Amino acid sequence: MLGVEGLAGPLGRAALLVGLIGAFFGLIAAVMGTLNEDEKVLRLVPRFATLSCVSAISAFAAMEWAMITRDFSLAYIQKVGSKSTPALYNFTAVWSALEGSILLWLLVLTCLTSGIVFKYRTRITDPMVGWAVATMFFVGIFFFILTLGPANPFAAGAPGVLDGPGPNPLLQNHILVVFHPPILYLGYVGMTVPFAFAIGALITGRVGEGWLVETRRWALFSWGFLTLGIILGSWWSYEVLGWSGVWAWDPVENASFIPWLTGTAYIHSVLVQERRGMLRVWNLSLLVSTFSLTILGTFLTRSGVLNSVHAFSESNIGPYLLSFFAIIVVVSVALIGWRGQKLHSPGTIDSPLSREGAFLANNVVFSVFAFVVLLGTVFPLIIEALQNRQLVVGEPFFDKLAVPAGLTLLFLMCVAPVLPWRKASGELLSNRLFWPAWGGIGALAFSVGVGATGFAPLLTFGLGGFAGGAALRQLVLATRRQGLRGLVGRANGGMVVHIGVILIAVALAASNSYTHSQELLLKQGVVATFDGHTFELIGFKEESDARSTVIAAVVRVDGGKSYTPAITKYKSMGTNIGTPSVKSSFVKDIYLTIEPPVKVSSKTAKIKVFIKPMVMWLWIGGGLMGVGTLLSAFPGRRRKPTDATSALIPSETSA
Amino acid sequence: MKYLKSWPVWMLMGLIVVALLAVGTTGDNGPLTQSDRIDSITKHIACPTCDGESVYVSRASAAEAIRNQVAREVRAGTMTDDEIIGSIANTFKAQVLLVPRATGIDSLVWIMPIAVLVCAVAGLWAAFRRWRRDNSGEASADDVALVERLLAEDPTDEDNV
Repeated sequence: MLGVEGLAGPLGRAALLVGLIGAFFGLIAAVMGTLNEDEKVLRLVPRFATLSCVSAISAFAAMEWAMITRDFSLAYIQKVGSKSTPALYNFTAVWSALEGSILLWLLVLTCLTSGIVFKYRTRITDPMVGWAVATMFFVGIFFFILTLGPANPFAAGAPGVLDGPGPNPLLQNHILVVFHPPILYLGYVGMTVPFAFAIGALITGRVGEGWLVETRRWALFSWGFLTLGIILGSWWSYEVLGWSGVWAWDPVENASFIPWLTGTAYIHSVLVQERRGMLRVWNLSLLVSTFSLTILGTFLTRSGVLNSVHAFSESNIGPYLLSFFAIIVVVSVALIGWRGQKLHSPGTIDSPLSREGAFLANNVVFSVFAFVVLLGTVFPLIIEALQNRQLVVGEPFFDKLAVPAGLTLLFLMCVAPVLPWRKASGELLSNRLFWPAWGGIGALAFSVGVGATGFAPLLTFGLGGFAGGAALRQLVLATRRQGLRGLVGRANGGMVVHIGVILIAVALAASNSYTHSQELLLKQGVVATFDGHTFELIGFKEESDARSTVIAAVVRVDGGKSYTPAITKYKSMGTNIGTPSVKSSFVKDIYLTIEPPVKVSSKTAKIKVFIKPMVMWLWIGGGLMGVGTLLSAFPGRRRKPTDATSALIPSETSA
Repeated sequence: MKYLKSWPVWMLMGLIVVALLAVGTTGDNGPLTQSDRIDSITKHIACPTCDGESVYVSRASAAEAIRNQVAREVRAGTMTDDEIIGSIANTFKAQVLLVPRATGIDSLVWIMPIAVLVCAVAGLWAAFRRWRRDNSGEASADDVALVERLLAEDPTDEDNV
């Protein structure tokens, strides 16, 4: 007998099935209509796209309804639902585990497919659009199959269950759980659009620059969302996990970072193809890599394979994701091979000392960096498969290789913005780099002056000043010529992104190199001192509800405002989660955690204090990257094709 | 202005950079507090019961136990950082090390990035050589005709890049 509370399961399953049918017929209509040039059939495509989109929305709404009404007839609600979870975190609990995450992915994907079909509704008879839409339907079918099979969020649960543990405690104690996963997914799933158009271009043989123009904003927005998602994830880690860091190089983080690296390489190298008609195979390969790496990353982090090779057989979703990854790679490589002759670019790059030369160097560094992160992530798997031995590759390995890669990229950010297309002379470089270079020296001198030490961080500060100078120079020149319009367009918006990246690099170098910590045993009424700051335990406070008990130490910092590092005990799970409290400023953060055991009646508290310089600049830099991405999406000054593709190179005799 | 941007000035700038880096690098005194040293050491040790987390990051009880062991060794002050990491690795076997060894098959994780970088740079070098060879610098009659035709057409829009 089904009550209203038991309807979500059947409704959700039915919606997913209808969605799958819609996507399937959408694929058939797009392929057959395009092959037979049958406009009547192609006109059906938008209907099928709408059907699968509405179905996915309905399924997602059914899952939210089940979560809100605590419908414990579903296995997923039994796993992540709880009567005591607050409304907001109950809402976000839908994407707190595998099945709900895949449902969210599907929701974004079908909405994007619908959006693409709507945007190109008047050009649906264009074969490239037809094949691109077919590719998106194909990807959609795969995710519908996942949600109906191995990652079914509407699977029936064991009978008689009246309550559940709720989502992971870390997913119910910070507002960022609302924003981080959906934004990250917008980035992941958004990469499907340029990938689909790349496949469309390969199938139709229109491998010129037309498909790039169609998808450049989609690629940019996807990259922007991926960037924002990663930054928000770092912020969340910092605010919630209590170890005072923002990035731990764990497989889940790496799974988002690897496609970000290849995506970043793409949005640079695509400029070379647009301007010079070159690097066609390379750009297609980068797009295929970026999209397939999002699938591989999902496989690595969602199948349980990274915990142990032997866990692979216990996972249902792993083989599906791995097979899909293999299909993408094989089909894409086959298509690129098939179109090999057409992909040959007639142009040449005149000199390594040119904008396109710098982009190529940038691509080499990004690609090798992506390879390093991927290798470090999967290396434990390789070792376990070959030698049946456990191995862990962690932060020190990644740091060791990421630092030189990051410094090289910073150096390229110093030089590339001032390089003209085609070729640069030594004199031109000397002219354009002179003041930015002094900016670098100034930053280095200032850093040494305020007591900064260490080769890598100092080099980061120096190169940061240099690269910042180069970016500012470009922006000043552009705004001088065009006023505020000089801030928009890819070149200028890109410089705003560069400044954001530089701020992040500098902040990471400072916070990683100069963090100091101390465990303080604070006694009520006694002021302790560390690193020029005072800490006084005022007392404890306790808050309790059906879900959890929070015990917080009230610590007055520098005689001013009080901060409350806390430990939360989640009753249903019996888990203790520490929550840091942070005093932030532009110069440094004072990060407080409380060490267990904690008693409200106690007169002492063991508080760990981290003094972390410049952390706030990480978030400012992230915000600037977002703003810069938006500015890049607006069209900049129109350039006539008859304009010179490079600046005039001063003659030897000119001043 | 021309003399200002001449090579001797660039040389001077280079010398200033080297001098500043030398001053800054020699002033590096390592961790300030015992807690800093404990943090630095525990960043190299994996929590044995977690999925790849370091002892520094993890809040698990196994990580807490290792952190306490490291803290005791640091307070005792008889061992270097590497010796402390070595003693923990002996207790828990090598799988608690977060940095793979540079011997045996584990060394592949160090060798492969270098090999890929060398291949990529060599490929880039070869591509530039080929482009230089292909780039005759002479415009063919077809090229000239194409440019003349384009110059005669109305300009279409294109982003400023």
